[in-house]
Amino acid sequence: MRSWLPVLRDRRRYIAFEVEAEGRVRGGDLVAEIRAAQTSLFGDLGAAKNRLRVISFDGRFGLLRSTHTRTEECRALLATVNSVGGMRAAIRVRGISGSIKAATEKYIPQSILQPDENKRRVDLGPVSGSVVRVRGREIDLSPDDPKMTEGSGTRYVGLTSFDLRGEDIDADGTSDGL
Amino acid sequence: MRPFEPNLHSLPEGSASASRLALAAKRLGYAGIIITNHTTTCGRPIGVEAARLVAGIEVVIGAEIVASDQRSLHSKAASLRERVDFLAVHGGDEKINRAACEDPNVDLLAHPHQGRAGIGVAAAKAAQENQVAMALDLSPMILLRGPARIRWMETVRRDLDLFGKFDIPLMITTGGRSHLDLRSPRELTAMAALLGLDRDRAFEAFSLPESILALNRRRWTSVGVELV
Repeated sequence: MRSWLPVLRDRRRYIAFEVEAEGRVRGGDLVAEIRAAQTSLFGDLGAAKNRLRVISFDGRFGLLRSTHTRTEECRALLATVNSVGGMRAAIRVRGISGSIKAATEKYIPQSILQPDENKRRVDLGPVSGSVVRVRGREIDLSPDDPKMTEGSGTRYVGLTSFDLRGEDIDADGTSDGL
Repeated sequence: MRPFEPNLHSLPEGSASASRLALAAKRLGYAGIIITNHTTTCGRPIGVEAARLVAGIEVVIGAEIVASDQRSLHSKAASLRERVDFLAVHGGDEKINRAACEDPNVDLLAHPHQGRAGIGVAAAKAAQENQVAMALDLSPMILLRGPARIRWMETVRRDLDLFGKFDIPLMITTGGRSHLDLRSPRELTAMAALLGLDRDRAFEAFSLPESILALNRRRWTSVGVELV
């Protein structure tokens, strides 16, 4: 954005939301649907005032930006969305925050995997969680305790297959173990 | 505030089972749901026992009376009153709206604004006297667009003024038939605010169903006499 006088700069709120739908939702369809709901409910003038933008959307969770005084209007217009791309859907507002960082950290779960919905569990005493990804001997683990990755800026705990089996006679230090 | 969703329809009438509705409502922050299937469809909702297993949310079975005239409405209400905890009436027709307001057995007049009919002054007075709650059914706001929604909004805005004037109890609902129809209390409050309903009245409307249920569950032997 072009620089603007700090006193005139508008304040913003970031709305974290979740889309519940019967199938896969595409980002473009969602944006079109929100735009349509917005102009239908408030008209062009109202739409210009609440300045809604879709910041990100990953297929389930997403982030919207709006003017800080009009978040309740945005809640109402998101509630009027009843289908996306011809498929029944509903948008659930998870929370509203003043910055992208805070909204993401507070309201968007960092791992979509629930601990109990993945069958591949790892339990090593101090470290426990569910396996997100396996590449060769490298294992990414989504920890049950989110504090485990605090301070490192990562989402997952990095492990190897050696951690799981203890000593391994094939161990030669390369990542794929060959 | 312990919000309740007072007018849902589950399988076989809606497309979601009672337990699915309960689970979705719990995630949206409701303390309870009332399932009011229409009396014309095949009776009791399926899977009520399963819905009771969902922890942290109360599932109440009520009924929504469908009547073609005043007389059958009163007789159905009198016979169902003993059997269910919560009694709603399928509104929308002007005569039925009026008759429901005049019947003290009725707890809730569901979607009185379907079609062009609203609530007249006479019906509003009767509703106040008999303590019949009006449903602010927001599903047209979610599902309709354009001229149809404009007409609906006009009627509802006018009637909300009338309800305020006569101090008629109000309940907010989506009349949902699937878990995708449900909206959280905060979202419904925001939508109702656009129709001119302030926050305090909206909060009151959300907690009203629970107090009505508590009243209905006491064992009344006749008007004002309770079996202790």
